[in-house]
Amino acid sequence: MQRILMRLPFLLILQGLGAVAMFLPAIHAYQLRYLHTARSFFYSGMVFLILFLLLAVALGTRGREGTVRGQLLGLTGALVLLPLMLAVPFREAIGDAHLLNSWFEMVSSLTTTGASLYTDRALPTTLHLWRAMVGWMGGLLFWVSALAVLAPLNLGGFEVISTDVTSAGRAALRDRRAGLPGERLRRYALRLAPIYVGLTAILWLALVVVGESATTGAILAMSTLSTSGIVPNTWEGGGFASEILIFAFLFFAVSRLTFRSDAITRERGHLTGDPEIRLAVTLLIILPGFLFLRHFLGSIESEGQDSFAGALRALWGALFTTLSFLTTTGFESSYFDQARYWSGLETTGLTLVGLSLIGGGVATTAGGVKLLRIYALYTHGAREMGRLIHPSSVGSSGPGGRRLRREGAFVAWIFFMLFVITIAATMALLGLFGLSFEASTILTIAALSNTGPLASVAGEGPISYAELGAAARVVLGAVMVLGRLETLALIALFNRDFWRG
Amino acid sequence: MKIIICGAGQVGWQIARHLSGEQNDVTVVDNNPDLVRQATDTLDVQGIAGHASYPDVLDRAGAQDADMVIAATHSDEVNMVTCQVAHSVFAVPRKIARLRAQSYLDAIYSDLYRRDHMPIDVVISPEKEVAEAALRRLSAPSAFDNQTFLDGRVRLLGIAIDEDCPVVNTPLKQLTDLFSTLRSIVVGVRRGGVLFAPEPGDQLFVGDDIYIVCHRDDTERALDIFGKPFKRQERMVIVGGGNVGLAVAQKLESASQRVRTKMIEKNRRCAERAADGLERTIVLNGDGMSRELLTEAGIQKADSVLCVTDDDKTNLLAAVRAKQAGCGMSICLVNDPTLQSLMKPLGIDAFINPRATTVSSILRHIRHGRVRGVYSIGDAEAEVIEAQVLSTSPISGQLVREIDFPEGALVGAVEKNGKVIRPKGTTRIEEGDIIVIFALAADVPAVERLFQVSIDFF
Repeated sequence: MQRILMRLPFLLILQGLGAVAMFLPAIHAYQLRYLHTARSFFYSGMVFLILFLLLAVALGTRGREGTVRGQLLGLTGALVLLPLMLAVPFREAIGDAHLLNSWFEMVSSLTTTGASLYTDRALPTTLHLWRAMVGWMGGLLFWVSALAVLAPLNLGGFEVISTDVTSAGRAALRDRRAGLPGERLRRYALRLAPIYVGLTAILWLALVVVGESATTGAILAMSTLSTSGIVPNTWEGGGFASEILIFAFLFFAVSRLTFRSDAITRERGHLTGDPEIRLAVTLLIILPGFLFLRHFLGSIESEGQDSFAGALRALWGALFTTLSFLTTTGFESSYFDQARYWSGLETTGLTLVGLSLIGGGVATTAGGVKLLRIYALYTHGAREMGRLIHPSSVGSSGPGGRRLRREGAFVAWIFFMLFVITIAATMALLGLFGLSFEASTILTIAALSNTGPLASVAGEGPISYAELGAAARVVLGAVMVLGRLETLALIALFNRDFWRG
Repeated sequence: MKIIICGAGQVGWQIARHLSGEQNDVTVVDNNPDLVRQATDTLDVQGIAGHASYPDVLDRAGAQDADMVIAATHSDEVNMVTCQVAHSVFAVPRKIARLRAQSYLDAIYSDLYRRDHMPIDVVISPEKEVAEAALRRLSAPSAFDNQTFLDGRVRLLGIAIDEDCPVVNTPLKQLTDLFSTLRSIVVGVRRGGVLFAPEPGDQLFVGDDIYIVCHRDDTERALDIFGKPFKRQERMVIVGGGNVGLAVAQKLESASQRVRTKMIEKNRRCAERAADGLERTIVLNGDGMSRELLTEAGIQKADSVLCVTDDDKTNLLAAVRAKQAGCGMSICLVNDPTLQSLMKPLGIDAFINPRATTVSSILRHIRHGRVRGVYSIGDAEAEVIEAQVLSTSPISGQLVREIDFPEGALVGAVEKNGKVIRPKGTTRIEEGDIIVIFALAADVPAVERLFQVSIDFF
């Protein structure tokens, strides 16, 4: 049995997992007596499970271990094809939805974007749970595959530090390349999944303890860990305690070192020395400080708005929202609005767009350009400035830092250019389908950085996904996949040697 | 005394020369037969060709009855093993090793060199000592030679007398009366290339190089009297980023008064290593002799330049070039003692001789009696010795003027009960005092005899 499972293609295993996962919402809906919804999920689950078994029987005897190419293809396929399957129960449960709408919904969940067409309609909570679950599974998929699939190929942010030729780096590389690709995937899945599940469970329990309902707590916990930012639309924002909990758990999307010491970095337990964490903390100090100062000056002018407590609330709101958008989750603190009332100034949405672009850490569930690449570009830039003053000076940051600054910054720059070109092309396409400049800018960045909720906060007024045309939805769905998988990985798929080797 | 010196490189050679000149039974071990041959040809030593740490080689070198092993090969590890073998197999009483790697020298690991761990009595590190010499030199920039005694409370300064000196053509006797509170004494004068210990009636002339022993707190005043106003160093350029340059730059970074330091290093690898080890110092990669690079390092505004590359000629030329470009002062590392006479014509203010510093620290462990510090002046022309007076030594209990000092010896400072005083003829030397004494090379054995204890001490 286990050996047969091992031989199955990566995509098929994921399909089986997706089918099994459908039974959970079925039980949930049955308990709440949404019988139609429960039936939709149960029947869909049965049908796809049978399909999985048939395919497994057909393919299980082939006796071929997976290849790296197969896994990368499987990953791409999972992002494009799986949403179709996942959308079936969703569509059945709503009844009237077009399959494209459900597909968009599921792509946006699976890529941990969290953009929703149904923000205005009251859906059964089971459907929100399903969306959150899909996002959560997508997050786990990328958590595992970042290390098991992308890291051995030097993709997904690892290209920046891949030029590590020290003996420790080589040892780490051997470890990552050890064994067959399928074996590696299993090893990392077994190592990471318990952590992921455990962290989610802890956050869920904690949220329930501070007063969220069980379902809302589960949805929030899953969307925090997966940085999808999916919330039930009945949810009015949690209390201060929930926000603190979520804030703490969002740090797992800042650096991969927060949840495991991978064999890539040599020094263990040096969280404070990690460039990603340092960069994130810097941003967390500067940006809320800047927002706070702006509001503070505003509150002096408009005078007498509120007191010291109001200022503190505004500061917390800015802090939470900054981290939430930096990790491309997209929760908005319920105190964030208070900053506006306090000072009478609008909050600049552009800051949040910028934060989403920066994104979280490498090999986490976060999207965006990723902190490590930004750091590589920053060190490179700082060094060039130094060289303007002293043309023949030598930088001081150790051999690792030097490599990051040269080769690392080079590939980071390539990635950044691809990212920017993707933004430009997508904006042009969306413009073609009749969207305004501002809307297409925000939607593109929201999709590419997998920060769905950005659309409702960044602009002058909220932009609704429901009002988009079919073509725009397809484009945005594709961009989400591109943003999640990263352009470099797709380009690697088109590499000739990759197919020959 | 029977001494085995392992390694006939720069340091080993110098030590061998020094020690063989003092009637010691010296054996040189090196795995290069040519070097051993050269040593036996030029110096009064015996030679063995072979790997220094092998017990059979040490045995052939006579380790059985040796009094001391000095391990100064190029490899730290060979030096360590040599000391271990000398201790465990041959029970040689005193072992000295030259260690260069910074990690071996770190103070927190000094426990390593205990008798039951790694039996090394004395660790010497030429790079570290040269770096310290450079820093000393920088702390009194106008002196061309600088060494500390009595835990840093007494300094030996070398001063070149020029037209600005207000006390030329004055008998030294009068100077003593004129500045009665100044705890300073002129111990040596070099005139026309000859070093001698001055008599009270001697005068100083323009062009003399003098050595003074003076209390730390009086350094600035003493320099002022001899026409060298004190100026604090604010901007510095270091040419050469090897171990020495790096150590100096690190010390300067950690100093309380901020010094803006720039470093020039030709070798890219070395430069990167130095840059990694430093925080504020700007490291430039390029040739220290090129005008562009010196300009980039801001040589026009620099107070001093320190040339510490491994090549004497580069050091000299870079120093001259820097001086020409407007740098206030230049200090040079010079290995070849014969080049020292070039300093004045080239306008280089001060030099550091790594041999003098290294040899000094080794000599300290060879001298008899309670010798605590030895500093070799010039090309081994004279020594300044810091020694404790023991109860049975011939000078104990006598007045300074009664002691039968040789012609070329002069007492520079005396520490009595923890206080440093300037010696007068009426000062009584007592048991437990520590004396700093200047002696020409020829008179060193005679001075040593004064400190030696008589047989009834034991």
